[in-house]
Amino acid sequence: MAGNGKAENTTCFDPRTLLLLLILVNIVVILQNSFYVELTLLVLLMGLFLYCRLFGSGLKFVLVFGFLLTLQHYIFPAAPQIFADFFSILTAFLRRVFPILMIGKLIVKTTPMRHFVLAMRKWRLPEKLVIPLSVTIRYFPAIREEIKHIRDAMKLRRITGAAKFEAYIVPLIFSAANTADELSAAAVTRGIENPAPKTSVIELCFRFRDYICIVCGLVFALIAFWLR
Amino acid sequence: MVKFHKVYFGYTHEKDTLRNIDLYIEAGECVLLCGKSGCGKTTVTKLVNGLIPHFTGNGHFKGTVTAAGMEVARTELYELSKKIGSVFQNPKSQFFNLDSDAELAFGLENIGANPEYIRKRLKTTTEELQIERLLHRNIFTLSGGEKQALAFGSVYALNPDIFVLDEPTANLDGDAIAVLKRQLREIKRQGKTILIAEHRLYFLTDLIDRAVYMENGEIVRIYTRDEFLALSDEQRIRMGLRTLQANALRAPDAQVRESGHVLMIKDLCCEIKGNRIFDHVSFSAGSGGIVGITGNNGVGKSTLLRCICGLTRERGGSVSLDGKPLTQGQRNKECFCVMQDVNHQLFSDSVWNECVLSTGDDCRAEIEAVLRAFDLFEYKNAHPMALSGGQRQRLAIACGVLSGKKILVFDEPTSGLDYEQMMAVGGMIKKLAEAQHIILIVSHDMEFLNCVCDRTVVLTLNCNGKEVRNA
Amino acid sequence: MSTMQATASRELRGKDLITIGIFSAIYLVINLIFHVMGGIHPIMWLMMPGLIAVFASVPYLLMASKVQKPFAVLIMGLITGLIYFATGMFTVVILITYAAASVLAETVRFITKYKSFIGNAASFVFYSLGIIGSFLPLWLFKDSFFAQISQHGVSAEYLSVLSKLVTDGMLMVIILVTMVLAIVGTLIARALFGKHFIKAGIV
Repeated sequence: MAGNGKAENTTCFDPRTLLLLLILVNIVVILQNSFYVELTLLVLLMGLFLYCRLFGSGLKFVLVFGFLLTLQHYIFPAAPQIFADFFSILTAFLRRVFPILMIGKLIVKTTPMRHFVLAMRKWRLPEKLVIPLSVTIRYFPAIREEIKHIRDAMKLRRITGAAKFEAYIVPLIFSAANTADELSAAAVTRGIENPAPKTSVIELCFRFRDYICIVCGLVFALIAFWLR
Repeated sequence: MVKFHKVYFGYTHEKDTLRNIDLYIEAGECVLLCGKSGCGKTTVTKLVNGLIPHFTGNGHFKGTVTAAGMEVARTELYELSKKIGSVFQNPKSQFFNLDSDAELAFGLENIGANPEYIRKRLKTTTEELQIERLLHRNIFTLSGGEKQALAFGSVYALNPDIFVLDEPTANLDGDAIAVLKRQLREIKRQGKTILIAEHRLYFLTDLIDRAVYMENGEIVRIYTRDEFLALSDEQRIRMGLRTLQANALRAPDAQVRESGHVLMIKDLCCEIKGNRIFDHVSFSAGSGGIVGITGNNGVGKSTLLRCICGLTRERGGSVSLDGKPLTQGQRNKECFCVMQDVNHQLFSDSVWNECVLSTGDDCRAEIEAVLRAFDLFEYKNAHPMALSGGQRQRLAIACGVLSGKKILVFDEPTSGLDYEQMMAVGGMIKKLAEAQHIILIVSHDMEFLNCVCDRTVVLTLNCNGKEVRNA
Repeated sequence: MSTMQATASRELRGKDLITIGIFSAIYLVINLIFHVMGGIHPIMWLMMPGLIAVFASVPYLLMASKVQKPFAVLIMGLITGLIYFATGMFTVVILITYAAASVLAETVRFITKYKSFIGNAASFVFYSLGIIGSFLPLWLFKDSFFAQISQHGVSAEYLSVLSKLVTDGMLMVIILVTMVLAIVGTLIARALFGKHFIKAGIV
């Protein structure tokens, strides 16, 4: 999932840790109501961001959250009623799911596709789910390139408004069908259908930081539950 | 090692694609499959690596094919893949992963090999194929040639006995072909058996042991290496084969006739995300002239084309027509690009409608004339995607002609074409030049450029546009 | 002359799995475009399932035509739900709704024997309900949510309007509207199939 020039080979946290945290955060977000729980959670998550050296993203989240608070406490009461009415739900909803967005971002930025797929295998998800999942992830950048090419071609010809959907989707689908054929051929001739369990060169093991994370997460979730 | 015994095969029940194939390839041999497009060479490779029958299904098959001691039709693909490795034509659609390390280990992980063994094998592969520069990279940042080298490495890591390659150089430039040649030489040295179906022959002349010439699904003749190299140019052209010698750019024969409109590129610079792609490229092209642009992959040829067509903004310099500098939007209007992958630019549900898209409905006579000239009139109601690759390309060119735009630009028009098709494209382009279009061609196909271009601009890395020969 | 069996088995092979993966990616990309365009107001969110259903029918139906075997749709639904979940776009509720929707869709396919376009279209109608999990938390945790927004300057009248919106009745309406729009989506796909995909021979 990280897609820069050099492929990352070590993750900050084991992807399984992050996914478990995600589940725990989901539970906390559903249960809690207290502002203090919310704030503590955000501070802890920011800690994770800093630990993983995601300073830019961390800063963005801090700023957005600050903005949301400002909106809710200062601007909505002062602004015209319509303004508050219109945006208050979005603001409240965003604030509520904020921790989930943060962990999602953490997963996307620190987990290469290879590690994510290995985590799925370690959790014994069936190959019939893991293989298509990894193909989906692999194909996203390809879709982006396709759309760019199609858009270029459209610029050189006259395609009007309504026909645009058709002009995008039709070549995209043809290209996808073609890639499916070619990619499958290249995959089956390298043994993807082999029923033997697949091994991996890279390893995923829980390190000290992963255990700390999970324990903290569990404790936090329990406290949130208790405080409800 | 590979044996075909009285093999008949057809993709459909009505028609036989292959007839009476009897072929015996010894271990350690390197055999070339050649012939015009559609002769059946790709089908033969599929029969060896097991894609037929296991992948393709449906069809009728008679006879037996054995490879590496296994009867192909009766052995599972994943078993076959342990001994038979396959490299395909399209670098973009062979990789399963996003990073190169994962891709190299892909095959070995699939067979459940011990991780220690995989690591050793990867190290050996990297050293023996000299692909250190490909490690630890995001595959989407690799060039076409690098992707193909990676695909080869991924197959090599499995250490198969037989390598089956289906037109692996279709999308590669001279340098990348040299890399492939080096890799093939290495596996030949190790005693591997190689079966390669190809159009571009010049790099194989000192690697092959035999050449199998096919026509219409039958083996016409099997040549030994010496016999094959002894073919005269006349015989070779009659057989529809590309040149057997490496080509360098040559001086033109004809005088360049440039008059009419003049496209002037001056000091053009382009940047993508802060990286300077090319700098200070200058040349001119006039109506009736054909200018080729070449240089290795990654040097910026496609970006240059896109910039000239107004699809990318220039960082500096100008693109002028008849002395007037053109904005991006204006360039969109004046240029038509036949893209490397024409599938991106075909939008309609029939050949006729595709043409109408270019001209509007009231040019029936004109559309008909153009379609007849391009041999597409009988397909006028067919869906563009039902046509063959060459026909689709002709359709894209036809649309360019019908658009009436002055500047026609071609991006790698001869990828994967056999000799006759390549000459046909060349002929078409020459006619377009006679019709006073300004023609720019980006290509790494030297044989083609020598046939067609009046002048060629060679782009070298770090930005220069240097003319190889002058009017 | 031995005729090779078409892959008539019900087992999903490598080619099928890869096909499912690729078309799931296209389905997700279409979804994403709508999320980005319409994510501004929760009212838009309520219309999202319907709008998406109109346009995302094409990749779904193409995949269903190419992979006429059980569990293809279930896998697509699980992939969609997992990616939405793991990227933090929506809560875990999305995983549940997509799982449920794809099970319904699979059942429809099973009944209609996987081969007919109408059967696949009907299964799509159920599959499109999966995205409802994106705003379902609003329904599930209505009280605490309203408590929070009422603290921050929302007028009482607006709150009451909202209260009337976030009801079971409204949820039914959304489901029905989504299903109707999904049918529209399948009609559009049918047109595109006839015009392009069947004509060119890829289905």
